Amino acid sequence: MFFQSARTLSKLGLGISAVGLLSLSTPAFSQSTANSINQMALAATCANCHGTNGVGVPNAGMPQINHLSSEAMLTQLKAFKSGARTGTIMHQLSKGYTDEQLQTISNILGKK
Amino acid sequence: MNRRHFLGVSSGASLGLLAGCASNPINISKANVVVVGGGYGGATAAKYIRLFSNNSAQVTLIEPNTEFISCPMSNLVVGGHTSISNISTPYDNLSKRHGIKVVKDMVTSIDAKQKTVRLASGATIKYDKLVLSPGIDMMMDRVEGLQKANQEGVTVQAWKAGPETVLLRKQLESMKDGGVYAISVPTAPYRCPPGPYERACQVASYFKQFKPKSKVLILDANDDVTSKGGLFKKAWASMYPGMIEYRSKHNVVAIDSKKKVIKFDVQDDVRADVLNILPMMRAGNIAVQSGLANSNARWVNVNYINFESTAAKDIHVLGDSIQVAPLMPKSGHMANSHAKVAAAAVVAELGGLEINQTPVLTNTCYSFISADEVVHVASVHQYDAKDKTFKTVPGSGGLSAEASKLEGVYAWGWARNIWADSLG
Repeated sequence: MFFQSARTLSKLGLGISAVGLLSLSTPAFSQSTANSINQMALAATCANCHGTNGVGVPNAGMPQINHLSSEAMLTQLKAFKSGARTGTIMHQLSKGYTDEQLQTISNILGKK
Repeated sequence: MNRRHFLGVSSGASLGLLAGCASNPINISKANVVVVGGGYGGATAAKYIRLFSNNSAQVTLIEPNTEFISCPMSNLVVGGHTSISNISTPYDNLSKRHGIKVVKDMVTSIDAKQKTVRLASGATIKYDKLVLSPGIDMMMDRVEGLQKANQEGVTVQAWKAGPETVLLRKQLESMKDGGVYAISVPTAPYRCPPGPYERACQVASYFKQFKPKSKVLILDANDDVTSKGGLFKKAWASMYPGMIEYRSKHNVVAIDSKKKVIKFDVQDDVRADVLNILPMMRAGNIAVQSGLANSNARWVNVNYINFESTAAKDIHVLGDSIQVAPLMPKSGHMANSHAKVAAAAVVAELGGLEINQTPVLTNTCYSFISADEVVHVASVHQYDAKDKTFKTVPGSGGLSAEASKLEGVYAWGWARNIWADSLG
């Protein structure tokens, strides 16, 4: 899974990222870089209301999401999508995403 | 960019500004991206090009204003429920936190062949990618006498938040009780579809408390309310009975500034005390002057997958200035959404990577029907590769069931978060 490798990279931090620059020409690595940008752009569709990278403005009035684990976030998003959880707007927005997209969003924005 | 700079910015990233981006190793430090316009589209694009490129792309934002004043929430200033300073955000975080070069200037011309922009100051800047988010301009010449009436202070638009918003508020405060405020709605598409109807609510909320004999007239060129129609009509009837009058198919063609009279193509003249006349709108001047507005010389056609202009390579156009896809509103939230799709595509193209084939846009729009009660409309737009456009997902999105104070809290939460997402 891409996410596992991305998380491993993330844990290893900058050193790996800097080394990674040298291997940009490797097709497999380029693809994972492209995927990473695409996934960040998908997760950024939540940022308008819930903050860049899921970190909302404190006490702004919008429910915070950055305390949720990826699993908990996905559970909530799926509950909104199925109608099991009601809301003012999230039950409408969640229905616009595929299950795979909700999984990606949760993986990116869930508490690390 | 040297290694020290790269490490320095990246350590800033580890403070949590872009924690999720650590897995993306792209480095396009030789790329120069110029962003024109610091609104919801441009500011967001500038910031996200930095984020998606691991802070490596060199980004210059050109914006003439010293701070961003939000159009969403500005109707609350007209209604007397908030102030301009409460809806203003400085640009300095874009430079301090994200390393964007913010230049206080205006672009006067674009050379798409040489890939340069010329500024009012006389400077020329070269770009590898140009992101243009110029917003809208008013087609003042479509209404006879409007330019003159504006100059005389008889009419006002206040459709770009700022001094005009304050001027409109002052005109309402100066109006005698028993007077008439008229707002005209141009033929769609125009910036912020529900905006005129929200403004009518805001003016009525002020009149209801302070000038109860006064009247709000909505003169709409369209056949019916263009957004949230049921919710607005319910609010007008239940909260402002006898105060707000809605007239459809009222297309303004002329203004008599001496008599404060509005003339229409068919219907009888209307006299008002405060005249908020919104003419038809088009893409911002620079898009029209540079020939990019290739849809009826009014809006910019783009390839929706990366928001690149169909008229010029490596110029990506965002926000209210584009020819929209079906059911895509001209809104701040949508411009912010455009910007993220465009930013990802710009970074991928500069890095020699394949661009996203399945981009997603969202829109959320809150309207205040009083000081604190709000209704929304929301939508999700997925890219359709076959038809090369964005389409709303069947069964998704929708309207508020009814107005609520809870959504009033969320509306302010939305505003504070999108301002931080675009400029913070």
